[in-house]
Amino acid sequence: MIHHTMGVDGSYPFLLAVWLLPLLGAILLWAFGPQLGRLGGPLGCAAVGLAFVFTVLSWGAGTQHGAGGALGAHQLLVSWLPGFDFGLLLDPLALLWALIITGVGFLIHVYSIGYMDGDRAFARFFAYLNFFVFAMLTLVLSDNFVGLLIGWGLVGLASYFLIGFWIEKPSAVAAARKAFVLNVVGDVGIMFAIFVMFAATGSTAFGDVFAHAGSFGTTALLTVCVALFVGAAAKSAQIPLHTWLPDAMEGPTPVSALIHAATMVTAGVYLIARCAPLWSQSADAQLLVGTIGGLTALVGAILGVAQWDIKRILAYSTMSQIGYMIMGVGIGAYEGGVAHFFTHAFFKAQLFLGSGLIIHALANEQDVRKMGGLRKKLPFAFVAMATGVLAICGIPGFSGFFSKDQVIYGALEHGHPWLYAVGIVTAGITAYYMCRMLFVTFLGSYRGDVDPSDLGMRHPELAGTAHADDGHDGHDGHAHAPAWYMNVPVGILIVPTVLIGWLMFGGENSPWAHFFAGQFPVWHPGAAPISETLTTVIVLVVVVIGIGLAYWRYATAAALADAIPRLREESIRMPAVLTNLFYFDAAIDLLFVRPAQLLGTVFGRFLDPHVIDGGVRDVAAGARWLGVLTRSFQTGLVRAYALFVVFGALLFVAYYAFAGSIR
Amino acid sequence: MLQVAITNYIALSATIFFIGVAGVLLRRNPLIMLMSIELMWNAANLLFLAFSRMWGNNAGHIFAFLVITVAAAEAAIGLAIVVIVFRNAKNVDVDEVAGLRG
Amino acid sequence: MSVLTLILLPAVVALALALVKLDDRAAKVAGVLTAAATVALALVTRDAQFSFHWLARPFVANFHFGSTPVSFWIVLLLAVVTFCAILATNVRDTRSMIAMLLVLESTMLALFLARDLLVFALAWDAMLIPVFLCLVKYAEHPETAWRYFLYNFAGGLTLLFATAAFGAIYGTTDVIGNQSVHLIGAWAPWIFAGFAFAFLVKTPVFPLHTWMPITYTDTPPPMIAVVSAIQSKAGLYGFIAIGLAFLPDYMREYAPWFVVLALISLLYGAFAALAQNDLKRIVAYSSLSHLGLIVLAIFSFSHVAVAGALVYIVAHGLFSAALFLILGYVEEREGTRSLVRLGGIGVANPRLAGALCIAALAALGLPGLAGFVGEIVILTGVYQTGMLWPVVLALIPIVLAAAYMLRLFQGIANGPVPDDLPVRRDLTWIEGLAVAPLLIALVALGVDPHALVMGLLP
Repeated sequence: MIHHTMGVDGSYPFLLAVWLLPLLGAILLWAFGPQLGRLGGPLGCAAVGLAFVFTVLSWGAGTQHGAGGALGAHQLLVSWLPGFDFGLLLDPLALLWALIITGVGFLIHVYSIGYMDGDRAFARFFAYLNFFVFAMLTLVLSDNFVGLLIGWGLVGLASYFLIGFWIEKPSAVAAARKAFVLNVVGDVGIMFAIFVMFAATGSTAFGDVFAHAGSFGTTALLTVCVALFVGAAAKSAQIPLHTWLPDAMEGPTPVSALIHAATMVTAGVYLIARCAPLWSQSADAQLLVGTIGGLTALVGAILGVAQWDIKRILAYSTMSQIGYMIMGVGIGAYEGGVAHFFTHAFFKAQLFLGSGLIIHALANEQDVRKMGGLRKKLPFAFVAMATGVLAICGIPGFSGFFSKDQVIYGALEHGHPWLYAVGIVTAGITAYYMCRMLFVTFLGSYRGDVDPSDLGMRHPELAGTAHADDGHDGHDGHAHAPAWYMNVPVGILIVPTVLIGWLMFGGENSPWAHFFAGQFPVWHPGAAPISETLTTVIVLVVVVIGIGLAYWRYATAAALADAIPRLREESIRMPAVLTNLFYFDAAIDLLFVRPAQLLGTVFGRFLDPHVIDGGVRDVAAGARWLGVLTRSFQTGLVRAYALFVVFGALLFVAYYAFAGSIR
Repeated sequence: MLQVAITNYIALSATIFFIGVAGVLLRRNPLIMLMSIELMWNAANLLFLAFSRMWGNNAGHIFAFLVITVAAAEAAIGLAIVVIVFRNAKNVDVDEVAGLRG
Repeated sequence: MSVLTLILLPAVVALALALVKLDDRAAKVAGVLTAAATVALALVTRDAQFSFHWLARPFVANFHFGSTPVSFWIVLLLAVVTFCAILATNVRDTRSMIAMLLVLESTMLALFLARDLLVFALAWDAMLIPVFLCLVKYAEHPETAWRYFLYNFAGGLTLLFATAAFGAIYGTTDVIGNQSVHLIGAWAPWIFAGFAFAFLVKTPVFPLHTWMPITYTDTPPPMIAVVSAIQSKAGLYGFIAIGLAFLPDYMREYAPWFVVLALISLLYGAFAALAQNDLKRIVAYSSLSHLGLIVLAIFSFSHVAVAGALVYIVAHGLFSAALFLILGYVEEREGTRSLVRLGGIGVANPRLAGALCIAALAALGLPGLAGFVGEIVILTGVYQTGMLWPVVLALIPIVLAAAYMLRLFQGIANGPVPDDLPVRRDLTWIEGLAVAPLLIALVALGVDPHALVMGLLP
């Protein structure tokens, strides 16, 4: 087991530029939004684009090997107190994430110029997007757990802003809140892990904690891993903390592409990959994480079969694919899990952006039952989505093929045959529902009411509100952003969606393996019962079965002719367990939300004003009672006062009479 | 020298005194109350004189003069207060003036 | 001498304001200038002291003022928050409000700068008076003023007795800031009880907190900003500067009780905040919850936790003041404090919504802002001492805080614009300037609280 020492110390201005440029962009865009108007888009793109350039320029620093096993670049920034020292760390793992964040992020920024055109809060959208890029970079570039947690929280905030971007839409507002609160649950898990780590090692820095990983003790180590995993599960939408992800589709589609597909939701994968030295020492943690990852992959895929909203299909597919990634890094197949993150970033972004093209053209229609026949009307979107689907299915040669098989085979190599089986089955289901989406959306004849010419939405911010269709009929004189803003990024993404997997071709000698040399704990697999080639064949067979099933149900000539009644039939007969999403939302509501509200009402509306304050009021009443009692002596009657005088005198006399006698 | 034992004087004085106390406590007419108070003063006077005679000095006489003076002053002021307070009252009843009631 | 100037300047100006008839604008200018001068003086007099001999019998007492490492930051916070509050004042009869704010500032400066227990005790009662007068004048319910005053004064009474007993036993009360004083003996537990009762009422801590919700809702925004930001810290400062310093044995002996009370405050306040519809009540109960965390930190006797507690004290002061001022802006524009009726302000008033957002995020402990720094350092320190269950229980209010703060923020700023709430003007320059120092400080402290923390660690 090699020990993971941290990067080569030094000063890296390019790294600082990568990190801070998006923040600068965000501040400028937020402060001067109204003045910037449509210039906000190019400004936001420039900030992220420059960050991407600097990331590429930092390649050398990020992959350098230094003395004592140091890997990558490290720069100290600020120190709160002993044990809480913050700096930036750029090693291959962080570099990979940074490249995706800034690179794919840049493409999505450009896409957004077209998609969000006409929105009243155009500049603010880019402010939030830039802020998100900054926050995500904080997360991956941090060299200690508290810095990571800060990035974690800020990313959750950015997600909240972007999901609830259209603030007048109640469903978006509710979805944003749900996402944020679940995210805080994850934050709290990571906080607890930090407490345990600090108590055991006196530091929160990655280097210190990993160096002392052996001294934790089994329970402490398991506790740390489980607590960290709570955070990872919340952020990466793993069961049971996944319920926010489908609702997050309320946000604009570029948001779904960037945050809820390519980057933010992969933060959990990053965390586990980063903490590989911890996980590698705890077999229980590995089993737990791997199982939940596999379970999520399966459940996500099953639920994907039941969705009719194109973005929700993609949301569940994201959840499922991240399940693969988590499963991969959970059980120790770090390179495989990270590889799947890499390819997934491209093809999922591609899929979301492509769906955005459709949604934009159809004036906010997201229900696939109202689509159909778009192959002829939106050919470019068809090509884009098709490549994405082929990649996600794992068709040989496409990017997803290389990474998915690594994860599945890794499960077997690391001794988890059940997870291996789950991975294979899920691959089949994935193929089925993705092709279902493709066929229903693009084949046959068009079933909707809108003329899908390229006019698109006039006022994206009103999507879903009563005014959504204002100004849509006919040209209204407002110059529409040219379509190339949206089409070019999608076109660019086709290339990695198809080809990027070849970087992983060649096993130990691939460019991929070279890139990650020294990053992860080395592990030598034993003999696996099924060979890798056989696995590939099995997966391929299952995928073909899935595609075939989808074709038979949705794409044959007979099915296409009868599309409308068949789809309606399917909607009606969908089992309740699926439409209610396996009742996770209901369970969380029943177990947590309602009791909390009940406790709140009991404490705040009943206990406090009546019982506790009642006690205080009783004290005051007691004082008043004493006063009333004392007052009863003041009758105002002279004779009564005279009586008291007499009594007093008698007492006085009696005292002297008897006290005198006793003496 | 006393012809009668001192205890008789004490008894008489006490009786007169407590009759006075009873009068203050039980009668409602302020004038009667004032008279009862005079009774109490005089009972005390009696006792002073008796003891003065017993010990054979004049201290008791001097105190008796003091008491008479104070009693007279107190009666005068008391009567003045009674006149003012009950000037417009319907009944001369001390229970009616409960203005100091808390 | 400069310390004395610092303490007396606001009071003198207040007196002048009371006597001279100025119009609202001039009064506000005078108040702002005084507050600014106070901030400058607070920075300058960091190491200065002033002492004047007062009593020799029954024990030695002096008018001894000067800041300690802990109190310096609270004094600075007080000066800044008062400045912001005066700038944001917008009530009828501004002149009297500003005068009362300045008197409050003076009395609280005397409290936190006091190096003598007897002066501390007197300032404790004195600082109730401006708030009481303000409540008499501006409160919606007539009994609020009396409830506030009598409850806190009862605490002040036990404080006074404890101080007198302390002086009688130890011989002098000129002890704050002196690390070598330890009190033991038969009376010491009672002295501790007297101090503790006062501090528990002031903070407040469950179950002595019921004066707080109604006081916090009835007091006008500028005054309540200062009260919730600073006056609530008086009790916590007392625990640190008096309890931990002079009576540590008794604090340790009774610590379990206090930890239980702190945890109950934490959870109770958070749950209760979830169910309120009055904006200021939500913040009031959230305060109960947040300050419970600081009590927990103090009674964990961990250096790290106490350092975190100082950060959190400052952070809570900043975001509490900011929240109350901004909610004051909202109430002043919309005429209502009810979450049921509010909504959609963010559409036309983005700057107001933005300011509220930052304040609410700091309050819920968003990583990157000062509240988070306090929370994580405190809980790390508490965990280090081996208190597992308190830490686990303390994590629950963090999640609840996200829920109720978002409910507050979204209820005001998001959602469709209600038909019966007219759209009013966005944040003006003056209003923004009033909350800007607070928000900027929250961000700055969230990134680098080094200066605050290192002053406390050994």
